[in-house]
Amino acid sequence: MKIRKSTFTGLLISVVLFPATIFSQNLENFEQNVTEFTLDNGLHFIVVQRSVAPVVSFVTFVDVGGVDEPAGHTGIAHIFEHMVFKGSHTVGTTNWEEEQEYINKMDEAYRTWLDEKYSPNPDGDIMEQYWAQFEEYKERASEYVVTNEFDEIISREGASGLNARTGYDFTDYFYSLPQNRAELWFSLESDRFQNPVFREFYEEKDVVREERRMGVDSDPFGRLREEFGSIAFAAHPYGRSLIGWPSDITATSIKDTQNFFDTYYTNDNFTFAIVGDVDPEQMREFAEIYFGGIEPTGQAPVVRTIEPQQRGERRFVIEEDSQPILMIGYHTVSQTHEDWPALQMLSSVLSSGRTSRLYRRLVQDDELALVAQTSVGYPGSKYPSLMVAFGIPNQGVSMDDLEDAIYEEIERIKDGDISQQELDRAITNSRASLVRSLNSNMGLAMQLARIQGQQGDWRRLFTYVDDLQNVTLEDLQRVANTYMVRENRTVGRLITKEEDSSVSETQ
Amino acid sequence: MKKIIITILLLAVSFVSAAQAQRSWSEIEYPPLNSFDKPDIEIFELENGIRFYLVEDHELPLVNLRVLLRTGGVLVPNEKAGLNSITGSVMRTGGTTSISGDELNELLADRAASMETGIGLTSGSATMNVLKDDFEDLLPVFIDLLKNPAFPENRISLAKTQQKTSISRRNDESIPLGLREFQKLLYGSESVYARSTEYATIDNITRDDLVDFHAKSFVGRNMMIGLAGDFNIPEMRELLEDAFSTIPAGDKIDLNFPDVNYEFVSSINFVDKRDVNQSFVMLGHVGGMRDNPDYATLQVMNRILSDGFSGRLMRIVRSQMGLAYAVFGEYGSGNFYPGMFYSGVMTQSETTAEAINAILDQIKRLQDEPVTETELQDTKDRFLNSLVFEYTSIASVLNERLSYDYAGLDPDSFDRLVEEVQAVTIEDIQQVANEYLRPDALQILVVGNGAEIGDQLEQFGDVNEVDITIPQPGENEEVTAGDAAAGLEWGQRMASAVLPGGPIEGDLIFEADNVIQGPAGEMTLGVKQTINFTTDKLITEVVAPMGRITMRVEGNEAVMMMGGNEMPMPPAQKEQVLGEYYRSHIYLAININEMDIEYMGTEEIDGEEFVHIRLNNDTVMNLFLDPETALPMVTSYRQFDPQEGRQVTVQLKAEDWQETDGVLLPYTTTSYTDETVVSKTIIKSHSVE
Repeated sequence: MKIRKSTFTGLLISVVLFPATIFSQNLENFEQNVTEFTLDNGLHFIVVQRSVAPVVSFVTFVDVGGVDEPAGHTGIAHIFEHMVFKGSHTVGTTNWEEEQEYINKMDEAYRTWLDEKYSPNPDGDIMEQYWAQFEEYKERASEYVVTNEFDEIISREGASGLNARTGYDFTDYFYSLPQNRAELWFSLESDRFQNPVFREFYEEKDVVREERRMGVDSDPFGRLREEFGSIAFAAHPYGRSLIGWPSDITATSIKDTQNFFDTYYTNDNFTFAIVGDVDPEQMREFAEIYFGGIEPTGQAPVVRTIEPQQRGERRFVIEEDSQPILMIGYHTVSQTHEDWPALQMLSSVLSSGRTSRLYRRLVQDDELALVAQTSVGYPGSKYPSLMVAFGIPNQGVSMDDLEDAIYEEIERIKDGDISQQELDRAITNSRASLVRSLNSNMGLAMQLARIQGQQGDWRRLFTYVDDLQNVTLEDLQRVANTYMVRENRTVGRLITKEEDSSVSETQ
Repeated sequence: MKKIIITILLLAVSFVSAAQAQRSWSEIEYPPLNSFDKPDIEIFELENGIRFYLVEDHELPLVNLRVLLRTGGVLVPNEKAGLNSITGSVMRTGGTTSISGDELNELLADRAASMETGIGLTSGSATMNVLKDDFEDLLPVFIDLLKNPAFPENRISLAKTQQKTSISRRNDESIPLGLREFQKLLYGSESVYARSTEYATIDNITRDDLVDFHAKSFVGRNMMIGLAGDFNIPEMRELLEDAFSTIPAGDKIDLNFPDVNYEFVSSINFVDKRDVNQSFVMLGHVGGMRDNPDYATLQVMNRILSDGFSGRLMRIVRSQMGLAYAVFGEYGSGNFYPGMFYSGVMTQSETTAEAINAILDQIKRLQDEPVTETELQDTKDRFLNSLVFEYTSIASVLNERLSYDYAGLDPDSFDRLVEEVQAVTIEDIQQVANEYLRPDALQILVVGNGAEIGDQLEQFGDVNEVDITIPQPGENEEVTAGDAAAGLEWGQRMASAVLPGGPIEGDLIFEADNVIQGPAGEMTLGVKQTINFTTDKLITEVVAPMGRITMRVEGNEAVMMMGGNEMPMPPAQKEQVLGEYYRSHIYLAININEMDIEYMGTEEIDGEEFVHIRLNNDTVMNLFLDPETALPMVTSYRQFDPQEGRQVTVQLKAEDWQETDGVLLPYTTTSYTDETVVSKTIIKSHSVE
């Protein structure tokens, strides 16, 4: 076992602004507490010793997300994420052998039902018959279930913050434990990913449908965002519904989900981060014991679709009962592109804090907007994505005025009306927020795991601020002129139904 | 190189694997937990009553300071609801009497520092989060902010606009809507614990209210201050004593929390929201107080009912029945006033009643059956083993102490709670469930889609439909002071005076000298304007020392031509040109019948008496008419002056009216900004072609 210790202080010499001295001191300290190792089956671990309190946070980062879903099965990455909480062959069941049999039969019945449902001339009686079979096996399978046992085991031991997130680019699973119970994580985590189960799968799809109703169907902003994605992206899977189109959720079986897991949850896609009051040597030993026996795997496919150049502005309007929201998006680049830091700083100059352009003009001085916010890397950052602007108009402000004002501020930057002080401020604040993020075990574990998992080196968390330091005013002007142009943008408006007249005006 | 490493890895692997084998979760034996030494908190008080709590934390080079204030929205009368939050927000955005809000923003942004202020229902706060090297520099600024906030009108207006926008949007999302209406059901819609901020209550708030609210709240006797960060306590203490001793002691505020006289009733209430396919359900009744001796038992009961995935609600309603993604609940215990006992769920419209019944069953079950021994033990284990997360940082120790002191709880309250939880029995839980829960008298609120829900709710009683219409503000008194009928009459007389032959069709053309009073003295520009009031065309030719400029606005097109180059007119310029057009007497005269005009009485200006009418357009304009001729002799309005960076009063005095082609124009117009002459326009000739 070779432990790679990092050295990256040399990279920070170029840093000249005020927090720099403080910052590099911290990095030196930080670096000394990082231990990193890869098991020979390809599983990668990062351990940060941080002994502020006798607790430890664990993150399992998987470099798989909504973009990897096969056609017709949007939402499957998220459905699988839910399954991971159902336990394993030994956790959450009274008898796995028997339970598994019923689960398989249940799924088979469901798939036959699906086949009939989508056949050219579906027979209602046959469908009903398969459905009855499905219900019966589901009932039988449920008799073996020890509901939420996985949660009960870790919660009894004091676990905190158990959860997971599915994004377009990644999925991560996390919780914290009292530091003396670290071995429990190793035992359960290796078990649940080695022996995934599809327990209560169809009940859980109902839960997912409720999650969809909550976050998308019944939420104005959720509806706008889903529509926006599907219009802004013609080819890349960033345009698909992350939680899944309702019919895709229905069409997804256990077999599909198992295939998805087998294809994408490969060893090279996993990164584990452990941050807290633990001994790195012991963590390494546990890693070997519990994860070392996992067979090596092949590599997972990656997305090859590249979003084609947009040929002209895309606009849409949703008319609803709720109050207006404006969303604008420009196609930009991925997080590894050389323009990424400049775009980040551009977004910061535009809308980060009370001195930013949009806050000052739209929120404060002209009182046009309650909120005017931009962000880069929407809805993901691994592949070329969007720089977006959200605007919530103040009462009585027209959407035209709000949209025009945003463009005016963008145009100013394109014309070079931007000061070094604004850029310095943006860089300083990025640096400071990194420093401020270093005092949370879970926050650190999530950041390190994600950067390592997506970019292959957790040091990017720190070396990234060097890239920011090299950004010039000309870069900001250039990226604004390159990406923030009309034919490269999508504009979505959610407007209140009464405002019919304003729709025709803007078309 | 890589290969070698791998070989070494393999050797290491086999060695370690031999040393220890995998253990299933139930076989693991845990070593003792590393200890956490709670840091000592240095506590001291200044003569002006400020109580400080200091703790050193050297992990990062930061200092976090938090002022906790005894004040809150409970002090605000209903007719001014929202005063506390506006005061808290404008205190920060408006800057101080010595540093403007904008300057403060820049100062802090340049140092990646933050200062924030806010006032909630039961307390207020002011925070300063800075790098340690900036602490001494920024502390005086923070003290200035606490003592001398400027409360400028423009930031008050901004805060009011934002509040009103939020009011207008408050029915868009089911969750905040449902929580708001549920609180109203339990505490009463006029209760300080549930009331809403309304357009009218925002209109009732004045700058004096903010000044007064700040003055009584931000004084020593109402302040507790906590600091955690990279400092040395004796040095820091000296700094703080110096800086904060200048804060006036003031009077201690007696926060009076009105009693909640709750009557237990059953009710089913419904908000129809047609743009959703999921019902948001809240059900419950008023809960209790933190100082209840049964608090620990109620906490254990809460956890059995709804502690994450291990709670009964999640296990049954979500995991087993698949009825919801979100299902939750608790018996709430307030520090200052009774909390709420509630359960909530979000479920598709079709299963609304099923989900409500599933929750009701679980509430009743707490009363009807004893919890199992395992359930109780697991719940206690969850609580006791996660105690270590109570203090995950040094700052968390400080924050707990501050909030306990503010709420009047003993510093060892948490330790006592731990002991009491350990002693809770199965019987205790059943007993408190029967004593404090009233499943027979629950108020249910459903926010959902009536068309999809159908008659499901009727099984719970007579459905009371909740009206969530947002009350429009009582018309602003100032605006309605005038008489509209008399206003229109005078407006029409003015129109006839300016355009004796009625509306004009062709282009109005005039030539004039515009004499501008600049910092470098007078400057005269020759101006020729061509205006068509039918087509909204406006061409201005200006002969200036640097050459001829032509500005042309027609429809959406707005261009400037100079030296043979044509360019789009900057939006600000276009706005100004159009502003002048819309304010011209001729434009007003032609469109007088579409205007909102008020007669405001008579007014004396420079010893002469005029008829005052007010036009409530985008810009409110005051016209002062000659009582005999009805000609507009003086015009005034407020305008933002970009050079000054503030609102100014513009006044135009007209003299020497002359008629050509059925149009009267004042051949001399003098413009004043805040009573200083800025320019004079002398018309040489005009015509209609």
